[in-house]
Amino acid sequence: MEEKNQIKTTAVKGTETARKVRGLVKNIYQAAHEAKEQGKKVAYFMVSSQYDEIVRAMDIVPVPTENYAGLCAAKRDMDRFLLKAEEDGYSQVLCSYARIGLGFDSMRRDLGGIPENAPDGGMPKPDMMLGSSAVCDPRFKWYQAAGRYLQVPTYSIDVVGPPPDADLVKVRDHYIRYQKEQLDGLIAFLEQQTGHKMDKERLWEAIRLSDKAWQLWYDIDRLRVAIPGPMPTQDHFSIMVAGHFYSGTQTAVDFYQALYDEVKYKVENKIGVVADEKYRLLYGGGLPPWHTLWIFNYFESFGSVFVIENVYRGYDPVEVPSHIKDPVEYLAWRAFLRFTQRHASARANSGNPTVERLLGMVEDYRIDGVVFHACRSCRAMTVGQIHLKTLLGQYTDIPMMQLISDMVDLRDYSEAQWKAQIGAFIESLVSRDARTTSLRDA
Amino acid sequence: MPFAGIDIGSTMTKVVIVGEKEDILSSVIGPTGAEHRHLAFQVVDAAVKKAGLVFESLDFVVATGYGRINVPFADKQITEITCHARGVRVLQPTVRTIIDIGGQDCKGIKLDRQGKVSNFVMNDKCAAGTGRFLEVIAEALGIELADMGELSLRAETYVKISNTCTVFAEHEVTSQLAEGAAIPEIVAGLHEAIAGRVVNMVRQLGIEKDVVVTGGGAKNIGLVRAIERKVGFPVILPPDPFLTGALGAALLGRDFFGRGMRRDHKRAMEGVTFFK
Amino acid sequence: MTAMQEMEGYYEERGKRARALHESGRKVIGYFCCYVPDEIIAAFDMVPYRIQGNQSIAIDEADAYIEPTACPFARSCFNLALRGEYDFLDGFVAPHSCDTLERMYHIWRHHKPSSFNHYINVPHMQGRSSETFYHEELRYFIECLEDWSGQKMENDKLREAVVLYNRRRAALRELYVLRKGDPSPVSGTEVTKVLVAGMGIPASEHIDLVEHFIAEVRSRPRPQRTGEPRIFVWGNEIDDVAFIRLIEESGAQVVVDDLCTGTRSFWDDVPETEDPLEGIVSRYMGTHCPRSNVPKTETREKDLEKRYGHIARFIGEWQANGAIFYIVRYCDTCELEGPDLREYLSGMGMPVLMIEDDYSISTIGQLRTRIQAFIEMIG
Repeated sequence: MEEKNQIKTTAVKGTETARKVRGLVKNIYQAAHEAKEQGKKVAYFMVSSQYDEIVRAMDIVPVPTENYAGLCAAKRDMDRFLLKAEEDGYSQVLCSYARIGLGFDSMRRDLGGIPENAPDGGMPKPDMMLGSSAVCDPRFKWYQAAGRYLQVPTYSIDVVGPPPDADLVKVRDHYIRYQKEQLDGLIAFLEQQTGHKMDKERLWEAIRLSDKAWQLWYDIDRLRVAIPGPMPTQDHFSIMVAGHFYSGTQTAVDFYQALYDEVKYKVENKIGVVADEKYRLLYGGGLPPWHTLWIFNYFESFGSVFVIENVYRGYDPVEVPSHIKDPVEYLAWRAFLRFTQRHASARANSGNPTVERLLGMVEDYRIDGVVFHACRSCRAMTVGQIHLKTLLGQYTDIPMMQLISDMVDLRDYSEAQWKAQIGAFIESLVSRDARTTSLRDA
Repeated sequence: MPFAGIDIGSTMTKVVIVGEKEDILSSVIGPTGAEHRHLAFQVVDAAVKKAGLVFESLDFVVATGYGRINVPFADKQITEITCHARGVRVLQPTVRTIIDIGGQDCKGIKLDRQGKVSNFVMNDKCAAGTGRFLEVIAEALGIELADMGELSLRAETYVKISNTCTVFAEHEVTSQLAEGAAIPEIVAGLHEAIAGRVVNMVRQLGIEKDVVVTGGGAKNIGLVRAIERKVGFPVILPPDPFLTGALGAALLGRDFFGRGMRRDHKRAMEGVTFFK
Repeated sequence: MTAMQEMEGYYEERGKRARALHESGRKVIGYFCCYVPDEIIAAFDMVPYRIQGNQSIAIDEADAYIEPTACPFARSCFNLALRGEYDFLDGFVAPHSCDTLERMYHIWRHHKPSSFNHYINVPHMQGRSSETFYHEELRYFIECLEDWSGQKMENDKLREAVVLYNRRRAALRELYVLRKGDPSPVSGTEVTKVLVAGMGIPASEHIDLVEHFIAEVRSRPRPQRTGEPRIFVWGNEIDDVAFIRLIEESGAQVVVDDLCTGTRSFWDDVPETEDPLEGIVSRYMGTHCPRSNVPKTETREKDLEKRYGHIARFIGEWQANGAIFYIVRYCDTCELEGPDLREYLSGMGMPVLMIEDDYSISTIGQLRTRIQAFIEMIG
């Protein structure tokens, strides 16, 4: 029996540059397949693990398994992988990125090759898996579990950051020292796997490129304070590919330069995402609904644009003390400074660094409402959203809401329910607007 | 030497009486009410009378199903997993995988070559994959549950239902109707969704031939076809898919008796006296 | 009153003893998990209190503060705090066990702060640099306790605490050794009560009770062999008898475990090193918990052996013939670990029942069929 046709679920982007990301993503997997053919090393790789430059400097081609899961969801071809993982005994509430990754690896093992018509050619079998404890626990447990399908060397590092109530003067040294030692351990492992030593100059070069790209990315986001908003959040979910999967390469720098130029042009010519921007929204947190990014266009149909977000560009540029001459030590310092960026302002104010960042965004970007996305299978980015809303609510009275589904598992998504919630939310924006206007006119 | 097996399900209570030679002497199906214990006795009594016997002549009584702990006159209570396996094995000796789709839960049971349960999996946490799911949607569509099987066979294509949560699925179905989807296609889509979910759960055990489908789900031809599509080969349906649990329970009673276990008639009658 | 009756009292009225100690002026420090060394707290003459949840109380209030897709154990604990049940805590210490507890610390600390609040960052990785980091984090923890309490911690007191807690570990090991009997003279249900009782009273008091209980058990008449299956339980926090009792009522005996409220917390001693903190670091870093990554150095088989060899020993020595996993829903760590452990145990020919549950006795009925069917299967 045949299935009836599908409907479009991907988002229309606001910028031209964002549309080029499709090619960048395809290239990630193509480059990995080519690398395998050429005998170069390919590694399963976790985003945001503070080790990108090291991997690049060792000429290892990364396969970002989380990104692959998001890609499958965007193409609505994730079910077979989710089901395979569940067949193998993995719980339905387990991180759906991990389920897709494990399901894919399981199928690839059973078939002895890439599953048919896998999005973007699928992920090739890696030569090694590099996990980390950054952001969440599944990011090292997953590759450990994948060992049942892939008999390849696996190495995970710890990525550590102190809580906001820690005395940074007292803890800084042991955090940075540990981080450096963890990165050293990774380098030693990679040297063993590749058979050649780390070239510190190449590492510095990768770091310089990565810092440059992230600086540009920051500059782009600063441009987005403009009214009307020139670049929407759905573009962010695409353009983050450069900063996270091409970090340490010239490609990322070039890409962000092009995006910067385009956004600048839009700002100078007051070109907004929609013709009539009524409400400026902040995407407060949570992994995106990769399965239905079109929902951002749905918001736009009400004149509501997501002008900024707190997701993939998780930190602003930091300045590592100039006396740090060793690139690995630099990376350790940079990580520490990134994670403690708003600790001081948190201690002086709300007690929570994320709240500080969000409050800053609410003010700078003239935000009318905040939307969070709670994913049923993601603990790290979901648990604590209610707390953020509560704390934020002590400093601002703009409407906030939490939409619930999953980042890739469609079974948790109800369009009917979302539309109802969004409708109510828009109404609250409208009535607040009317109230503020009438107060102003009174 | 009659042995009784009583299967108290969420919606129906089934009783089978077997004799010395594993032959079925009688069987009765009645609705399960809130008062399990009272009803349990009534249905057993009816079955016993139907076989031309008296209650006191029963040599062993085994209770199974959701309400099995509420049968004071039973000698043993055994889970439906063990009972289904025992019952289906007698009806279909080549069985290795059982898929049971009941009113409120669904199960997969794996048997080894000797017919012993080697593994099992259950879903009783939510309605998806059960008769209840179909009931809810049938009501939303304004059709009879019993007609859903035949209705779905008329469809050539099916509407994909992504949500397995009953509440969400109901919304999805309403939206589909509003967009003009035909009822047979929607019902076919639901069967695909349930079959997908159930088969996927059972795959955790490794699906091996022969596969037997039991429970209310076996009576829905559309669902059975969908299961066959997912599994990739034909499945076997027992003549009375509702009775396999009670049959197994009765046979287990016979096994226990054969091993020397005896019914405590006095205690059993005490359990019954209240209802007589 | 027998030792078991006394322990039942502590099991039923949790926090009662600790509350009394708090009211008498002793400082009670609440903590989670196996990575906060009791010895350090005891060295300050403070009373360590391992925070529990309550499976009989619906998690109602906590939903306004933390998402329902977070670990129900953590939510239950916080729910109790919101109801005022943990108001006797002078200190609240959370280690970095996992994503949810990491977030729980901040939420709890914001809404129900104690006089002393502290987060110990525990490395997820193992190895020399990780041990050094943990050592530094414990030193910082000690410093913070010193600042708050106004007393300096003396190494002598820490050494004494290590000796005391090793005595408690030895007593619990002795109790577990009794369970090797066929059948075991003490039930899993009873042992759960013993363990939970120990979570909320000073170690010296618990040692007394456990030793008396062991004597009571030894004086019981030898039970008849029943041929019932002997079950090994794996999971994290089991601080309620409901689940264990369900297994035992279904016709089996729970004889040994790898739970963080069980052997994981007490099986190995802290080496009595010259610098007591060194021994503490090495023992606690060696805790066999899935949240700690065991580095993979060779093949998959060797990886599984490194991670689970200790479980194979328990199973062998206690002659378990079935394993039941109790995985709390939304625990990604255990949900990724469970299938691996099942693979290892199945390879040994051990039947495994993997249960995912909500840490609530309201769902116990649904588990009854699974557990009973499993016991019928292996029986």
